[in-house]
Order: sequence, then C-alpha cells, then structure tokens
Amino acid sequence: MKEKEPKMHMQHRRLSNAIAYAVLILISLIWLFPFICLVLQSFRSYTEGGGAMVNYLLPKKFSLDSYKALFGEESQFFKWYGNTLIIATFVSIFQTIFILAVSYSLSRFRFKGRELLMRFWLILGMFPGFLSMICLYFLLKQFGLTQSGAIPGLILVGFASSGMGYYVCKGYFDTIPKSLDEAARIDGANRAQIFGIMLLPLSKPIVIYTALVAFMAPWCDYIFASYIAFGYSDSYNVAVAMYRWVNTNDYQGYFTRFCAGGILIAVPITILFMCLQKYYVEGVTGGAVKG
Amino acid sequence: MKRKALALAVSAAMVVSMLTACGGGNSSSGSAETTAATTAATTTAAPAENAGGSSDTEETTAAPADVDYGTGEITIWVADNVQSFTDEQVAKFLEENPQFAGYTVRTEPVGEGDAANNMITDVEGGADIYGFAQDQLARLVSAGALMPISGDYAAFVDSENDAGAAGAAKMGDTTFAFPVTSDNGYFLYYDKSVVTDPTSLDKIVADCEAAGKSFYMEINSGWYQPAFFFGAGCTLTYDTDDMGNFTSCNIDYATDKGLTALKAIINLHKSPAFVNGSSLSSATNVGAIVDGTWDSGAAQELFGENYACAKLPTATVDGTSFQLGGFGGFKLIGIKPQTDANKMQVCLAIAQFLSSADTQLARYEAVGWGPSNVTAQQSDVVKADVALSALAEQLALTIPQGQYPNDYWSLATSLGDTVIAGEYDNATDDELMTVLQDFENTCKSYAQ
Amino acid sequence: MEKKSSGVFAKVSAFFKAVAANLKEIGTTFTEGDWKTKVSYVIMGFGPLMRKQYLRGAAFLAIELGFIYYMVSFGAFYLKDITTLGTQGRGFNPDGTVSYGDNSFLILLYGLLSLILIALLILVWRMNISENRREEQHIKEGRPLPTVMHDIKSLLDEKFCFTLLAIPTLGIFVFIVLPIIFMICIAFTNYDANHQAPAQLFTWVGLENFKNLFSFGQAGFGGTFITILIWTLIWAFFATFLNYFMGMAVAILINKKGIKFKKLWRTILVMTIAVPQFVSLLYVSKMFAADGLVNAYLMKWGIIKTAIPFWTNATYAKILIIVLNLWVGIPYVMLVCTGLLMNIPEDLYESARIDGANPIQMFVKITLPYMLFVTGPFLLTQFTGNLNNFNVIYLLSGGGPQHMKLVGGAGYTDLLVTWLYKLTINDTNYKMAAVIGIMVFAVTAVVSLVVYGMLPSVRDEEGFQ
Repeated sequence: MKEKEPKMHMQHRRLSNAIAYAVLILISLIWLFPFICLVLQSFRSYTEGGGAMVNYLLPKKFSLDSYKALFGEESQFFKWYGNTLIIATFVSIFQTIFILAVSYSLSRFRFKGRELLMRFWLILGMFPGFLSMICLYFLLKQFGLTQSGAIPGLILVGFASSGMGYYVCKGYFDTIPKSLDEAARIDGANRAQIFGIMLLPLSKPIVIYTALVAFMAPWCDYIFASYIAFGYSDSYNVAVAMYRWVNTNDYQGYFTRFCAGGILIAVPITILFMCLQKYYVEGVTGGAVKG
Repeated sequence: MKRKALALAVSAAMVVSMLTACGGGNSSSGSAETTAATTAATTTAAPAENAGGSSDTEETTAAPADVDYGTGEITIWVADNVQSFTDEQVAKFLEENPQFAGYTVRTEPVGEGDAANNMITDVEGGADIYGFAQDQLARLVSAGALMPISGDYAAFVDSENDAGAAGAAKMGDTTFAFPVTSDNGYFLYYDKSVVTDPTSLDKIVADCEAAGKSFYMEINSGWYQPAFFFGAGCTLTYDTDDMGNFTSCNIDYATDKGLTALKAIINLHKSPAFVNGSSLSSATNVGAIVDGTWDSGAAQELFGENYACAKLPTATVDGTSFQLGGFGGFKLIGIKPQTDANKMQVCLAIAQFLSSADTQLARYEAVGWGPSNVTAQQSDVVKADVALSALAEQLALTIPQGQYPNDYWSLATSLGDTVIAGEYDNATDDELMTVLQDFENTCKSYAQ
Repeated sequence: MEKKSSGVFAKVSAFFKAVAANLKEIGTTFTEGDWKTKVSYVIMGFGPLMRKQYLRGAAFLAIELGFIYYMVSFGAFYLKDITTLGTQGRGFNPDGTVSYGDNSFLILLYGLLSLILIALLILVWRMNISENRREEQHIKEGRPLPTVMHDIKSLLDEKFCFTLLAIPTLGIFVFIVLPIIFMICIAFTNYDANHQAPAQLFTWVGLENFKNLFSFGQAGFGGTFITILIWTLIWAFFATFLNYFMGMAVAILINKKGIKFKKLWRTILVMTIAVPQFVSLLYVSKMFAADGLVNAYLMKWGIIKTAIPFWTNATYAKILIIVLNLWVGIPYVMLVCTGLLMNIPEDLYESARIDGANPIQMFVKITLPYMLFVTGPFLLTQFTGNLNNFNVIYLLSGGGPQHMKLVGGAGYTDLLVTWLYKLTINDTNYKMAAVIGIMVFAVTAVVSLVVYGMLPSVRDEEGFQ
C-alpha cells in the first residue's frame, strides 16, 4: 500500500510524488491494457489467422475487415444494436419513473405498513434472480412477450420490478429538508405538485444517475435475454448475439468481429458515461453512505 | 384430410383411451385411471404404428397434390453456417411441392447445443424442425421434444442411410429423427512441417515440443476422452427404452484396460506441448489438433501448404501400444410433436427432403458436411475429400455413438479436469484404480 | 430499521390477539350494521355505493367481479389440481399428432397465483367491512362522508404515496414475489430432466430434495454443496475487503497533494465500469488461457518454460479470479472513497502530525475508522452482492475446473449462484436449483442479519432528516 510522505523537505516530497506517478501510470496501463488489446485485435486483417484468436498482440496487418463484416449487408449486427438501444432507452425511462415514485413515497410519507413493505422488499432482494428465470419466461409467454415479442418483454422485465432498487434515490430525497415541503404546502401545493414542481428539479443528479445505471444494464444482459428471445434472431440483443460468436463452435473466425463489436458498443457508452460521470459519482457516493 | 388406417393395428381399448386423452386433455376431469391407460397406450402405440405403417404404402411419402394442407408457419433451427444453405433448399422444396404453398418457412440460426437446451426449456415455443447432434437424442425424447417417426418415413431412414446413422436416430425400436451427416467424429489435423509421423502419439507430441508448437486434444470432454478408453478396449454404453430412459449401463473402465487408457491420458497431459481444447478458432499455436470435419476449412486456411489429416495415432503405455478409438457420431434433424395433422405432414416432408441424398450431397458441396446417405457417400467428390477419408479411416476404429445420460458428459469433464489439474501425476496404480472404480459406479448410478 | 423484539413468543401471541380482534370486529360490524352493510358482506362495495361513495364502492365491486371472472375463466381450472399437479399424461393420437395432458408447470404457477389472489381478496373484503363500519359511524355521528372529488384529490395529496406505489408494487408482485414463491414450491417437487412439462408430469415429493442436498454419499450433493458454500464465502470475503482496501489506497494516492491530472487518472479507471463486462471479462479470460496471450508472452520472453495452468488448476484459478476481480472492483470503490476522504476534516490530520504521528498511524487511527464507520452499509451490500457475483465468475472461469469429487457439474470456482445457473441450463435440474436458491437466500440473510447488527453506523433512520 502506498502511503503519504508528509516530510517537509522538498526532496522527499518530490521523490514520493515520483513514486506515486510511477504507480499511477502502471495502474493506468493495467486498466487500459484489455481495451488496447480489443482495439488492436478489432483492426487485425482476416488474412492473419482468419479472424480467429492469436497469441500475439500487434497485428501484422491492419485492416477494417471486421468492421466491414459488421456493417455488411448480411450482418444483422445493427438490428441487434438497435434492439438493445430501444430496450435500454425504454428501460431507462420507466425505471427512473418507478424508482422516483417509490423513493418519494417512502421518503416523504409515513403510512401504515411502510416499515413492513421495506423489510419485505429487503428480504426479497436476497433471493438470487436466476431462480425465477424459467417462471418469468412462462409468465411472459402467457402474454406473448417471448421470442418474436421479446423486445417489449425484456423492457417489461427490465423495469417492472425496479421499484425495489430505491435505496440510493430515497437516501438522496431524505437529505432534502422536509421544511421545503412544509413551506410549499402552506403556499397551497398538494403533494403531487410538490413532487413534480419542487423536488424533481432539486434532484437532477439522482435522476440522471438512476437513468444512466438503468440504461447501461441491458447492454450486458446476455443470460436473461437469451432465455427470453431464444430461437428468434430478430429479437436478440447485441450481447446475446455476440456471446455466441465466441462460445459456440458454429462460429469459426468470429473473434476479431467480437472485438470490433465490443468496441462499437463500448465507445458510445463510454462517451455517455464520461459526460455524466459527475452525476454517477454523486449517486454512487451517496448510495454507499446510505447503504 | 388424410388419416392412417388405425383399426389395423390399434386395439379397440386403445382407441377409447386415446379419444379420452384427446377430449379430456385440456378439460377438467382427468382421473388416474385414464393416465395409466394413456401411458400404456403411448408406449404400445409407436411400434404398433410401425407395423401398421408398412402396410399402407405410398400415401404418406408421395404427399398427393390434391389434398388441402391449409396454411401455417414452420420454423427450422439449423447451425449458423448452414442457414443460407437450408433457406435455398427449402425454397427449392416448396417450388417442387406446390401443395404446401400455404406454409411459410422461417429458418433461424440456432447452434445444435443451444437448440436442444431451448427445446427442452419450452417445447411449445421451440422450432418445428431442428438440427441436433445425436448425443442429445435421449434428453430430447425424454423431454417430449421429438415426435416418433413411423411408417414409410421410418423405412426411409433405415434404407437410405448407413446402419450407424439409422441406429443413431432410434431410441429402443422407435425412430425419432432423420440423419443428415455421418461425420460427427474426430481425427487428426496436423502441420506437415511439424509432425513427421502422425501414427504415434508420442512422436507427435515430441515433434510439437521440439518445434515449440502445441498438440490440442479436448481430454476433458466426454466425447474425445473415450478415444483412449475405447481404444484400449473398454466399453461404455447405455441401454435405453422408447421413452428416453436409461435402463442399464455396460461399463468396464475399472480394469487393466481402463488403467492403461487413463495412464495414457495422464502421460499426454504431462507433455508441455499439450493443450486441452478442440476449437481451431480459439487455438493459437497449433502443431496438431484432434478435431472434426466442421473445422476443415479453418484448418486448411491455418496450415496452408502443410495441411494434412490422418486417423488418430497409437498411444504407448509401459511398452504396450494401442490404437486410439472413440465415437463415430451423427447429426440429425428432428420434428417436435405437432398438434395439427396437416402441419405434421408438411414437417415430415420437409425433414425427409433435408435428409435426402440430393440435399446431403448439395450440403457437402456447400459446407463440407459428410453425408449419412449411402448414395451420397458413394459419390466421387465425397470419396476424394482428404478430411473425410481420414475420418472414414478413423470411423472404422470407433463404435457408433449411442445414447448417454446428460450427467455422463459432466462426469467425464470432471475426470478430465482432475487429470489436467495434475492430481494424478504421481498416483499409484491402486489410486488410479480407485478413481476408475468411482467413475464406473457413478456411471452405473445414472441408469435406473 | 431493525427494532428490538421482545422474543418470538410475544410476537406470536400479539399476532393471535390481532386475529381475534379482527374476527370480533367482523362479527360486531355484521350484527350492529344496517342492511346495506350486511349485503356488503356478499356484494363488496354495495354499502358504499348506496351511501353515494361511488368511487370506493365501484372499486370494491370491480375487484370482486374481476376476481370472480378470473377464477371462473382461468384460475379454478388450475387451482383444483394443485394438490396433485396434474394426473393426465401426454399421449399420441393414432394419426401421429400429440395431445398434451395436464401441464404440471402451469398448474403450479397459476394455482399459486389463484391462492395468492384469494388471500388478497380476503384482505380487500376485510377492508370493505371496515369501510362500511367507518361510513356507518360517520353517518351516526352526523359527519359528512367524503365526496368523490375529495377522494380523487386525496389520491394526489395525502394518499399520493398509494398512487405512486400502486404500479411498482404490482410489478414487484408479478415479477418477483410470484416467481420466488413458485420456485420455493419447486424445491418440494420432483421437477427435473425426467419430469418435464408438458410431456411429463411432476408432483410433490416433500423434503426429498433437501435430504439429497445434505446426503454425503457418492451421488449426494452434500460434499459438493459444502465445498462450494465455503468457496462462496471465501470469495465474497476477499472480493469485498481486498477491493475495499486496494480501492481506498488508490483513492488516497490520487487524492495525494501534489498529484496532477487527478481527473484523468480517475477517468481511466472508471472506464471499466462503462465497458460491458461480457466484452471485457470474456476477453481477459481468453488472455489467460493455456495458449493465450499471457502465457505466450511469458514463454516468448523465457520467464516460464511451460504454460501456467491459470484456469485448469483450482488454486491458481481461485487466486486469479480474486486478482482479476480487483480490476473490476477497484474503480468502483475508488469512486466511493474519493468523495468521502475529502470529507475528513483536515485539522484532524494536522493535530496528529503535531503529535508526531507517521502516515501509517494516521491512516490506522483516523482514516480507517472514519471510512469503516461511514461505509459500513456499503461494505455489507458489496459482500452480499459478491455472494451472488455471477458475471465475474461465469465470464472468467465458467466455474471450472470440475473435479471427480464434485457432483452436479460443479467446479471449484463455482459460486452457489453459478452452480444454480448450470443446474438450470445444462441439467434442467430445476428441483435442486430451487433448493440451492433457497440456500443462497439463507446464507445471504444470515450474513446480513449478523453483520447488520454489528454495524456502527446503524442509526435511527429518522436521524438523517
């Protein structure tokens, strides 16, 4: 572990800073290394190893083969990409609404059964989610929301139970003084108005945080999405489709394409994330302290 | 609407119980008695239909054009690399058979492993026709994901395909699928510039070590592992009934033969050149690899001028050597149980077409899958194929792959993983025998 | 949140007292009530409707009608078979088509739904009675009953929380509560590869599966379960605390005075959160394969002669997973700690420095206690999260390597939750998966309860406001 060196001597400080920089550069390299590899592999030409995995880092010949394959006419990649974008957008919107609604209720109201409800949800959260996968599949099937209807199905599953994830947001609402509510009530506002007109604008960081977290989840969902959309490739999301490229023997030489696809997913999300990083940090920190 | 003459083979009592089953299936009153009757009826029905089927002849295969088959949608699952091929063939089929014009056929790329898993998860939501590797047959039958094939179709399977393939499509005496390939076996691909003598495992490994290359074989797979055990003379087969249940297990791994095989595996693992794996696309430093025909394109590309194939080598343990054997497997096309008699006829016709000699030959030419159809096997192009002839040589040394319970594959992986982890590197013969005895007992426990 | 209970016995007796009081009130309401109230016992909402409480009355009536419609058209059909889960098997017709019999799966699922709806109906019926009683009292005392307008307005004001909570709670009920109850029930059936709906029936088997979980014979799950449980706990411990301390160290390093480009360093680390794990972790997993990038370069540089069996040796695999998890977890902890570290008053350090404390002493005496105090709940959620950390394990090692001593396809790096997944997908052994799911819950609940009681920062919830 690296410690601070608070000696007053300039030389000492310089030395310790130099060590700190060295460590930071090393850490940065380690953290960036897989991404550098991904980028390099995605530009490897098909003439080398035919798009399969290789055991060296620098491609001998750079080309856009993999990207061309993804953008090619036969490729469904952008269909899957679009599916994921649609799912992520809707889940993000509805989940944010749900979480805000639940958080506001639990933060500002004291009703009978409130404690019981919170404790009940806490207990529910301790059951592993995979347990209910097959049950959810058949529930959704009852409403025609599997296979060809998997996209609305995945949106529904994505947000329907999201009310349980209220902790962070409620914690944030708790820090907004109740006296503001009282003042607004004296001015004649009802609680719906207080929520919409007063509290929401004050909670911009937490709204963005909630929406961002919800938006990012569907991009990684390869387990549940494959369970719901199986056998209907038009409904796949990008994770389900790409996961097959590296894990079944039907796809020979798709490795560089996997890397290229990964880059195409990662870049927009990373940019979005970087732009909203401030709010994310605020949400994470607040949530951690409140627990 | 066409119905088979059922009175021939089916007893009156059975008809009654069947009708109860039809009528009462979704309504409220189902008593325990009817269940017993139905189950009994189901088990006897299949062979009975077989017997009856042979008497009423042309009706089923020729699919007369004047019958109205109605409309519907049929889904076909095939591996991604044959999807466009299947599309073309189905289009051709529908053109040749205008009486099925009311049906739209959709193909989806679903790999053979996934297909079986997905079918089992939800039979009703799965494909109407799907391709799968033969080792999934028992699972699929027991989950009710395959319809029994009877009459002329069953006769077609028996007469048109090699004996191994026809046997692979059966559970007990009932046929459940149409064979499409007989190439689901493995052999050796190697780099001529690295491997000088492909007949001896020790030499292959030594050559790879010297060249700094690797020898790939997936010894933690229940499919590749028997190459050693069967080669050394061991047996491991299961008997099944028509319902997909395993009735008994024939195994003699806990013998001196088994010990020799296990030692050969351990010796192989000890070589620094050995890498566990069988997928060319994720292998990075190949000198030689034990793999199947599906990777022949990738292997040709990888080895270029030095591309070569051979049957599996011989292994030598304590001075005795034996030829590696293994499984000869098959790929099949099955139909899920249908509720609509017309659609069932269309599905049968399509599946039969996809399994026919012409289609198999065309499939070989398009994607290199080795045919199971005897006529197609005799064609010159197929006979001239390097990989397929290596496979044919190897297949002569293997047993046709029967049915294995799902737990077996997992158990074999455990054995392989334990070897690879090096736990048996210094084990005595007695210790290894205990391991084999455990393995044997566990295998037996899977059959009830 | 957790209130000190005065013993289980007191709670139980309080519960029975409450039930008795309820029954008594139902009785007195009926005997003392007018005819409108009495009719309401059968036709819910009748009383309120007659007393011009249209909104409430209509709601009660609609619920009753909806319930009856559901039961007649759908629910009763499944409910009647719930004790046997179906008796009628599948059969093939003479023409080769199939006729499916009872579907045990759907019988159990919709049977349970019907049972729950019946319970809810009883609850609503009870509310219906209270409503009648309250209305009667209001009328008796001459107070005006609330108008429809007033009811609607109250749903946007003092009852706004119910408006907001209604749909999210419904969602949780359908997509969480119902499936969980369903899967708990599965643990008491023989639903597995040999008993699959719709082709075959499954039925109740009592505690059979739990016996199997704790049987230590050759094919019993006992030994495997214990092995995996221990690894799950070890993993969660290391994954949580190693990440925590390393993440804090990185945060301290970046916060260090005189370090420039603080934002840049943080951004680099945070990128790992933004890139989907199935891309990054799958790639990292391939990097460490026997013939992967890492081994290839180590051999090329002559550091090792033979490949390191990263994923095939159980010990290596376990260590590697914990180390690689640092790559995933440190950025997150770093983010959390950065903000909090800045909250520690600088004068604390200043006075410590005057007392001659060295940096390590200051860290142990000031930084650590503060951080532990503040981030206690965070650590707890991290720990329970790691108990169920599916992605990292599944994408990196897939749970392997397997071993002859482990049954059910389990490997040495499997967590309970990845094992559960394998049992579901590969073996369709739903009954054992359900049993393990219940065990996961038990472990999580026990850990949470024990740790929660020990947390220093558990304070009265209202205290924050």
